Amino acid sequence: MKVHQFLTSYAYGDAIGNEALEIRDFLRANQIESEIFTMHFHPRYAHQVRNYLDYDRFSDPGNLVIYHFSIGSPVTKKFLRLPDKKIIIYHNITPYHFFLDFHRILAKDCFRGRLELKSLVDKVDLALGDSEYNREELLRAGFKQTGVLPLVMDFAKFDQPVLPVLRELFADGKTNLLYVGRIIPNKKIEDVIKTFHLYQKHFHADSRLFIVGEYRGFERYFSALQNLARELGVENIHFSGHVPLAEVISYFKLAHLYLHLSEHEGFCAPIPESFYLGIPVVAYAAGAVAETMNNGGVLVHEKDLVKVAALCHEILSNQALRAALLAGQETALEKYRQQRTGRTLLAYLQGLQP
Amino acid sequence: MEPFISAAPGINVEEIMDAIRKKIQDKKDSGLLKQREIDEIAEMELQPLPDFQEIPNIYDPILYPGAGENQSPSVSLEEALRETGPLKAVMKKVRSLFSPLIRFMTRPMYIELKTDILQLQKKDRIVMQSSEYIRLLHNATHNMIVEISKLKTEEELLKTKIKILEDRSEFLENRERALEKKLPPT
Repeated sequence: MKVHQFLTSYAYGDAIGNEALEIRDFLRANQIESEIFTMHFHPRYAHQVRNYLDYDRFSDPGNLVIYHFSIGSPVTKKFLRLPDKKIIIYHNITPYHFFLDFHRILAKDCFRGRLELKSLVDKVDLALGDSEYNREELLRAGFKQTGVLPLVMDFAKFDQPVLPVLRELFADGKTNLLYVGRIIPNKKIEDVIKTFHLYQKHFHADSRLFIVGEYRGFERYFSALQNLARELGVENIHFSGHVPLAEVISYFKLAHLYLHLSEHEGFCAPIPESFYLGIPVVAYAAGAVAETMNNGGVLVHEKDLVKVAALCHEILSNQALRAALLAGQETALEKYRQQRTGRTLLAYLQGLQP
Repeated sequence: MEPFISAAPGINVEEIMDAIRKKIQDKKDSGLLKQREIDEIAEMELQPLPDFQEIPNIYDPILYPGAGENQSPSVSLEEALRETGPLKAVMKKVRSLFSPLIRFMTRPMYIELKTDILQLQKKDRIVMQSSEYIRLLHNATHNMIVEISKLKTEEELLKTKIKILEDRSEFLENRERALEKKLPPT
């Protein structure tokens, strides 16, 4: 059996691309031939991937093709026409309305993605979600054969020290709040900034906010955020932009609290990562966040920003509460530690063999 | 009603909520935090800059003739607003009933206009030249306004990009200083 993967884009540091790579390596380690086919890719990965239009040379009804589906693109059309057995891994599609003011092309692709998802019903042999939330969406869309393939969570890569330079710059006694993720409108970073402003102004002046993540392609959203910060007069917000993993880990380790107020999430990897690094998490219950939190951290059900700011202060000033939260997060983390994504995938693949 | 927060079973959510309420009330009592401020912050919306690439380029039809041929023809506003179906018939009926009255009321204005036009037509050449000139001026002004608007938005975007670079440069300077401190003395 040969198992190949399709994806629309493999950007640098992209979670979906990394997952595809992990799956490919796992399959190869199990003596299964596997390649990655994509439409766009970062030059850094040029030697790892092939053009999706070249797949015809590899196509065979005995093959299995896994399509990582997260946005509308011409790849779907190609995938649908293949005679191979088909699996999709659904990573969720951000509702297009979040991008209308900031990125018309992406809004169009997200809208198209939802339509393409419907066109995939009855055309694929198995539809997998990377969370139970995503699987339920697949069921609602009409897919019959569904399952969950958890994201590969490699916590070992977080076992490295804080970079000395960042320690010198930011380990200065200030209380550091952290957000990690792309700077895109559905993440509602404006709410994080507003909450931080209230926290800094009314509860703890000696504080700082790290916003760690890529903003390329969303410069207008990023500039609107900067204007908002200026208008509010909030100080000590550090936008890192896209940084290497070692720096991301350093920001995590320098942070005292992780704040996530996104309004759409298909999984949200920084939450279990914060759990692993012993940072208390406050997150808004949107999309798959409640499922990802797995009863760890504090889940906020209402966007009352002053209450969220007071909650952050309570967690950071009440040592007993902080310790109880960290213990709860440690328990929640067990689910991710016990996950065996590779074995689960193999079981799904074997189920599709004649 | 759903609670404001939820946490692991061992954590007393009510206790946390009491602490939160107390913190907010204390701030309000001391006059430092006002409900108006909370509402204002909650209602603040992001003001994204317009995307200048979305403003259609007026020179495109000249520079790239035929590029728009594959696009669907644009529908004029008048066409879109034109009544159709039974409504059209009713409106026509109503208008025809009132048309003698409307004609009577507008007759003096019509005659005056017609006279003016006749007088102007006598100066036909001048009028034609002026109207051409006015059309040219109108087009030039329109094009200038479009281009200036685009330049303005582009300038705003560049200003923000400069601000981002300034922040980045400041951070890199701090980083450089921190790095120098870490270097062993030579």
